[in-house]
Amino acid sequence: MLTIENLQFRYGKRSPQVLRGVDLTLQDGEIGIILGKNGCGKTTLFQNILGINDPDEGRMLFDGEDLLHMPRRQRARRIAYVPQHIHFGALSVFDSVLMGRVSYFGLRAGQEDCDAVRSILREMQLEDFARRNAEELSGGEKQKIAIARAMAQQPRLLVFDEPTGNLDIANEQLIVEETKKLAREKRVAILSSLHDLNQALDMGDRFFFMKDGVIKYTGGKEMFTPEVMEDIFDIRVRVVEVDGQKIIIGGKKQ
Amino acid sequence: MNVRKKRGVMIALAAAVILMALVCLFIGSSHMSLGDCLRALTKSGDPAAVRIIWNIRIPRVLAAVIAGAGLSVSGLMMQTTLNNSMASPSTLGVSNAAVFGANLSIIAFAGGFLSTGNNLQSYAVSANPYATSVMAFLFSTASILLILALCRIRAFSPNVVVLAGIAIGSVWTAATTVLQFYATDVGLSAAVIWSFGDLGRATYRTDAIMFVAVALSTVFFLLLSWHYNALLSGEATAKSMGVRVDGLRFASLLLSSVITAVCVSFLGVIGFVGIICPHVVKKLLGQDHRLSIPASALCGSLLLLAADTLSRSLGNGSALPVGAITSLLGAPFFIAIIFSKKENG
Repeated sequence: MLTIENLQFRYGKRSPQVLRGVDLTLQDGEIGIILGKNGCGKTTLFQNILGINDPDEGRMLFDGEDLLHMPRRQRARRIAYVPQHIHFGALSVFDSVLMGRVSYFGLRAGQEDCDAVRSILREMQLEDFARRNAEELSGGEKQKIAIARAMAQQPRLLVFDEPTGNLDIANEQLIVEETKKLAREKRVAILSSLHDLNQALDMGDRFFFMKDGVIKYTGGKEMFTPEVMEDIFDIRVRVVEVDGQKIIIGGKKQ
Repeated sequence: MNVRKKRGVMIALAAAVILMALVCLFIGSSHMSLGDCLRALTKSGDPAAVRIIWNIRIPRVLAAVIAGAGLSVSGLMMQTTLNNSMASPSTLGVSNAAVFGANLSIIAFAGGFLSTGNNLQSYAVSANPYATSVMAFLFSTASILLILALCRIRAFSPNVVVLAGIAIGSVWTAATTVLQFYATDVGLSAAVIWSFGDLGRATYRTDAIMFVAVALSTVFFLLLSWHYNALLSGEATAKSMGVRVDGLRFASLLLSSVITAVCVSFLGVIGFVGIICPHVVKKLLGQDHRLSIPASALCGSLLLLAADTLSRSLGNGSALPVGAITSLLGAPFFIAIIFSKKENG
């Protein structure tokens, strides 16, 4: 569904290259996790996919269509974004989610848009929150509203930037489960960055290990080996299996 | 705050504007009774009273309503598009440029450089009563276009716009100072008095021009309410939702600045309306632009009407500068709102 070839980007003519030829593919309903140290280019890659910045070189295809030449509103109907730091501007939850429909209605929301929002709120069990001020909710609730807002765009791909970065363990689990549900039940592809390797193992289907602006390793859970971790994060870890599930333990700096 | 309460606040604001407009209409230095005013409104009674009401007070009240609404909405749009709560209609240096243009007109062309001395007759508006306003408007428009062009070359980020506005604004201020340094005493007084905001300069024609600028821009802003709401979620999120952020920012800054340029050119500098009113509205009604745009317009009209009424009541025959009154009236209220514990809803 999403194919990225040789993506290159730098923020200014004299700035260093942040993306140095990224290649990536993702299928419908697949959860792809991008892993790498801070500053390796994860957020910049997301910004290129979302059209916030345009790449200097490379191609991005969405079902064979060139994303780079796709009008912004068309792109918004295919790809939605859940940022790490979430703001709603003191709107009600209903209006915050309705905002996700702006690429459909343009100037004024219609009945169809309101019905779509009601349906999403019902599915995500957020109906009781509809009239509340979205800015006054807890971190986990806000994250859920942001997912609902992204789903209002009816996307085929959802880009998550550090979805559990600011959450406690209970809310982390809630968001991981919600994300899995979207991929399994709605067949929405997810592309997310995460720092917690064990959470990545729990959530992801395919993993992209990124270093210095390129994806060095791609694959399934089998890619979580001490050697790969050492190369990507410059730390030594132990990989153990408990009840058939891999767990990453510890980490000594090289 | 629920929908019903928000609607109540809007109705109360609209009612307050109408009430204040009537108070503004019936109070003035000629000390006409309420009966005289009402008779004059129906064009009966004392002809002098009719002239005062129809030729002086109504254009003045209309100017307060239109300019107050325009400056307030302009401030709100500046704050939203630049993501900066301290932004105001003057952020792009529009007022500074207008003041320079007016000073140039008054000091250089109305007698200052060209006359032989402090000749008061040189300052009579004999040639064209709009000359100073036209100069003020031309310079403020040139300033807007210069800043927006500079920002277009560089990344069109809010910080770049604000910094470019401060830099260009200070150039106009410096140029005004140089101009005033060489001005004659009378020229200097005339220029300084021009820069005080004064609704007494309004005529039906200037009101009509201001109305066109304010009404068309406000309709544009209202139509794009959802896009401004999306901007509240952050630039990246708005772009990901399909909003053309750079184009929206460019058009909004241009229109906000044009509103300011038109109002300042005709009425002089009226500060603080564009910063107080949007903040008060956001505190009262939240940030939803479907409500905050019309509410800011009403709040701006109300503040300027109140300030004008007060300036004429305190002025002992001549009106005090309305810009000073807006600040004196608005600042304490503003501080009270900022420090109140009540959250927006």
